Amino acid sequence: MSKCGVVNIESRKKSLHYFFEKLVVPLGFKFTPDKNMMNFLLKQEVILEGRHGIPFCPCQPLRHDRARDMQIVCPCIPFHRKHFDDIKRCWCGLFVHKDVLDPDKLPQLPPKEVNNE
Amino acid sequence: MSERFIRAISANEIAPGGMKAVELNGSEIVICNCSGKYYAIQRRCGHMNAPLEMGTLDGIYLTCPMHCAQFDITNGEALSGPVPSDIGHEIPPPLLGKYLQNIGILMKQVRTESIRTYETKLKDGWIQIRL
Repeated sequence: MSKCGVVNIESRKKSLHYFFEKLVVPLGFKFTPDKNMMNFLLKQEVILEGRHGIPFCPCQPLRHDRARDMQIVCPCIPFHRKHFDDIKRCWCGLFVHKDVLDPDKLPQLPPKEVNNE
Repeated sequence: MSERFIRAISANEIAPGGMKAVELNGSEIVICNCSGKYYAIQRRCGHMNAPLEMGTLDGIYLTCPMHCAQFDITNGEALSGPVPSDIGHEIPPPLLGKYLQNIGILMKQVRTESIRTYETKLKDGWIQIRL
C-alpha cells in the first residue's frame, strides 16, 4: 500500500479518537480514563495504520488471513463482545465499560475462564 | 498572486455536513459546510485525484470516495493513506490478475499528499473564496 506523504501522529490520533468515540459509545464503552495509556495505544494504532493501511489492535498478532485480521481492526468490540463485556474492557485496554473508573482494578481473564468454554 | 475574494455560491446551497464542487477561475474547489462554518479545499484528492465532494464529510474529516484516504478540511492535512482493498479469495483471470498486480506495484509508489485549502468568508448570504 502507498504511504501517506506527511503523517502527523498527533493529528491522526485526534481523528481516530473522534471516529472511535462515535462507534464505541453506543456500544456502552468509552476510552480508558488512563490518558497516558490511551495516548500510547492510539499512537501504536497510527503506526500500524501507516504500515498496513488499517489501524489494527496493537496487542493482537496479524495472521495474514483477511477474515481473521478484520476482526482485530480497532475498535474490535463487536467481534469479541462477550469476552469484553465479561472483563469490562477490550483486550488492549483502549476501551473500558462506561461505568469503569479505575481500569487497573479490572481482572484480565482469558475467554475460557469467563465463558466456561 | 491574486488575493481577492470571489463570490462562489449562495450559503443555502449546502446543508450542514454537505459539500459542493465549484470551479472558480479554473480552480476546482470543494466547499464544505461543517455545522454552519464553511471551508474550501482543492477538489482533487491528494492521493489519486478523485473528486472529493463525492466522498463523506464527518465533522472536519473528509474521506475520499476512491481509496478512503482521509483529510482534515480545516488545514488540508492528509491524515491517512488509502485503505487496502480486498478482492476476496476468487482467483482473477490471468490477464486481469497481471493487471491488478501491476496496479499494486504502482500504487505502492503513490504517496498521499495534503491538499490545498482556501480562505472563505460569508457576506450577504454568499460564500466567498480567496484565490
